[in-house]
Amino acid sequence: MTRFDLRDYLPVLLMFVVAAGFAVTNILLTQLVGQRKQTRTKLMPYECGKDPVGSARERFSVKFYLIAMIFILFDIEVIFLVPWAVVFKTLAGPEYGLRNLVYTEMMVFVILLLAGYIYVVKKGAFDWGERARHEAEAEARALEDLRKKELAARRAA
Amino acid sequence: MLNLFFPALVFIWQQAPGGRMSDVSNSITHPDISKFLVIGALLFIIGVAGVLTRRNIIVIFMSIELILNAANINFIAFSRYLQDTGNANAVAGQVFTVFIIVVAAAEAAIGLGIVIALYRNKETIWVDEIDLLKW
Amino acid sequence: MNLSLALQIQNVSPDVNLLLILPELIVCTAGVIVMMVDAFARPRQRWMTGGLALVGLVAAMAASFWMWSGWAGPREAFHGMIVLDELRLGFTFIALLVSALTVLVSMVWVEGENLPAGEFHSLLLFATSGMMLMASGGDLVIIFLGLEILSIATYVMAGFRRTDLRSNESSLKYFILGSFSSAFLLYGIALVYGATATRTGLAGTTNIAEIANRLDVSLYPPLLFAGAAMMLVGFGFKIATAPFHVWTPDVYEGAPTPVTAFMAAGPKAAGFASFLRVFVFGFPFVATVASVQGQIHAAWLGALVVLAIITMTIGNVGAIVQNNVKRMLAYSSIAHAGYALVGFVAAGATGDPVFKSEALSSVAFYMLTYAVMNLGAFAVVTLIARSGDRRTDFEDYNGIGFQSPGLAFTLSLFMLSLLGLPLTAGFMGKIMVFRAALNAGYYSLVVIAVLNTAISAYYYLRLIIVMFFRERTTSWSAPRVPASVIVVLIITVLGVFYLGLFPNRVLDAFKTRPPAVMATR
Repeated sequence: MTRFDLRDYLPVLLMFVVAAGFAVTNILLTQLVGQRKQTRTKLMPYECGKDPVGSARERFSVKFYLIAMIFILFDIEVIFLVPWAVVFKTLAGPEYGLRNLVYTEMMVFVILLLAGYIYVVKKGAFDWGERARHEAEAEARALEDLRKKELAARRAA
Repeated sequence: MLNLFFPALVFIWQQAPGGRMSDVSNSITHPDISKFLVIGALLFIIGVAGVLTRRNIIVIFMSIELILNAANINFIAFSRYLQDTGNANAVAGQVFTVFIIVVAAAEAAIGLGIVIALYRNKETIWVDEIDLLKW
Repeated sequence: MNLSLALQIQNVSPDVNLLLILPELIVCTAGVIVMMVDAFARPRQRWMTGGLALVGLVAAMAASFWMWSGWAGPREAFHGMIVLDELRLGFTFIALLVSALTVLVSMVWVEGENLPAGEFHSLLLFATSGMMLMASGGDLVIIFLGLEILSIATYVMAGFRRTDLRSNESSLKYFILGSFSSAFLLYGIALVYGATATRTGLAGTTNIAEIANRLDVSLYPPLLFAGAAMMLVGFGFKIATAPFHVWTPDVYEGAPTPVTAFMAAGPKAAGFASFLRVFVFGFPFVATVASVQGQIHAAWLGALVVLAIITMTIGNVGAIVQNNVKRMLAYSSIAHAGYALVGFVAAGATGDPVFKSEALSSVAFYMLTYAVMNLGAFAVVTLIARSGDRRTDFEDYNGIGFQSPGLAFTLSLFMLSLLGLPLTAGFMGKIMVFRAALNAGYYSLVVIAVLNTAISAYYYLRLIIVMFFRERTTSWSAPRVPASVIVVLIITVLGVFYLGLFPNRVLDAFKTRPPAVMATR
């Protein structure tokens, strides 16, 4: 039996640090480097792509389903990484010496996934379309007018 | 009465030799392979019955997924228990399960795509209204 | 410790042999390339995808021919996942031929119907790679994966005409029943996997050759029976045998005609390939009837005899009452599955390797002849149906015989070949299958099959009579025949005569060669 030793968990701690650092760095970078363009649509309350004001029982755009289906596929394909990762260390070790083979196999798999992703992007599956953009802008304008009217009413009162 | 509401418990009770409470609890904490096979078979039957009797396409999809998961449970149970019988290399069943999960996801995506395509032309998800092709 | 380590290493050595899956690799790569070309090409360059698909298929054909002619190396790779034998090569050739002819038929059709050509061709290539994997898999995992690759691509192809409700419906029906049957197959595989654990402590297996070894030392023999029965049902759905055939006419009628041609010829042949491999090699014949193996063999063989009889009869009787040509051809494809099952029964009923290889090659030959004449017939039906598949009823064929004699005569030839007239491929296919069954002693089965052939004369000849001896009431303008379809018609007509007159060369190629010849190579 191996005894519990906190030092064994150092890699996990490192992973935490790296993950937190990555997130913080990204946020900072976008704040510092990114250009700021405040459009009406961006300032609109965020509602997962839906219009924030209006009936809740309206029809969804088919784009939602499309993205959901693509997500399912790419999400599930990653399951193949798990058994690979479990045995990689053993197979790549001196006992078997299959490092190149095992690594190449997974890279081929990832490249195939990438090819699928490129295909999806080029086919415009993530393209939300002009009409949706115009609708969102109209909604944002309406919201802004509403807010202005409220402000005006409050001032008048 | 008990049989009606807790069939699984009654089943375990009957399976326990002598029917004593200690045996029942032992059988729950250390189930043997038959329990898993029975769960798999139940899922399979529910799935087949769902495909045959339901009229909503989405429910039919769900029933098919149930059958696939019944097969998954069987694979995992066999793999695990046969591993216990000696051979330390009984992972074939578990690997098969990974493949089944991926295939099920692909099938679900394709199926939903087909339903959306159909719904655009004819607004229905009831299979008995999809009756254009028949003799 | 050292010994166990060595054993483990031997157990885990990857056994990678890419040459053994070269045709599959070529087809898959071609599929991905076609996909990428389609994504990056401008709309006017879409014709490239069909050409690329053809190049890939021809290259794969060359690779499998090379494997057939010069290969004397390992007969299996990836620990028995992939096997190389004549059964595989025969069916690989059929898959590639069907796919290439479908590409040729669909090249102009896809453009005319305003459908995305690149997607169609890449789906076709992926479906082909699935069919080839079904033929080459020596393990139930590979067979299942091949089946799913094939099925998922075919579901989409059946619903390819998105705005047409019939196409949608056909796709949906195919999807529900197809995935239902794969689920059955899968549950059967799970049971067989568990049942093949041995009393000596070995875990279960999905390797077909290994399953055959373990039938008599199985830990749970009853599960073997249940698993084999479920696999029988699953495969029965895929090749459309009679109690499981109800989806076939609807799907074949609603799907776009070139896709129907593909579905009737390709997936059916691939289904036969893995059906044969699983049952003839996985649950083989044994002389001692009392053993588990003997019982299970007798059980599936008896079930198959019954299935063959019902399938032939229902297919032929159902075809008589149809008024739609595509639906008639769908029922005819059910009947042809029944005839091929006769050869299957013969292959399963014998333990003698010579008879067995003869029966196996007869089934492969039958599927080849069926693929050739079926694709030819559907090519003509595609031309006559025009855009939107609107003209597929028997009335639309009224009296076209003397107005478009070329088309009418080729279609008549294919009908006669499907019927099994001497000198045509259909005749030779039936003769080979029936001879194998007679060798195995199934006289009554052959008598029933011959009677069924007589029934089938009614509806095949009916189409010819309609074309040549009925008055046409509506106007007829002859369809323009594109060059690629002319190529298809020439290939299929020549194929019908070649297979009908000189079947021996092809049959010998499909037969298992004696091991001595393999050794001296």
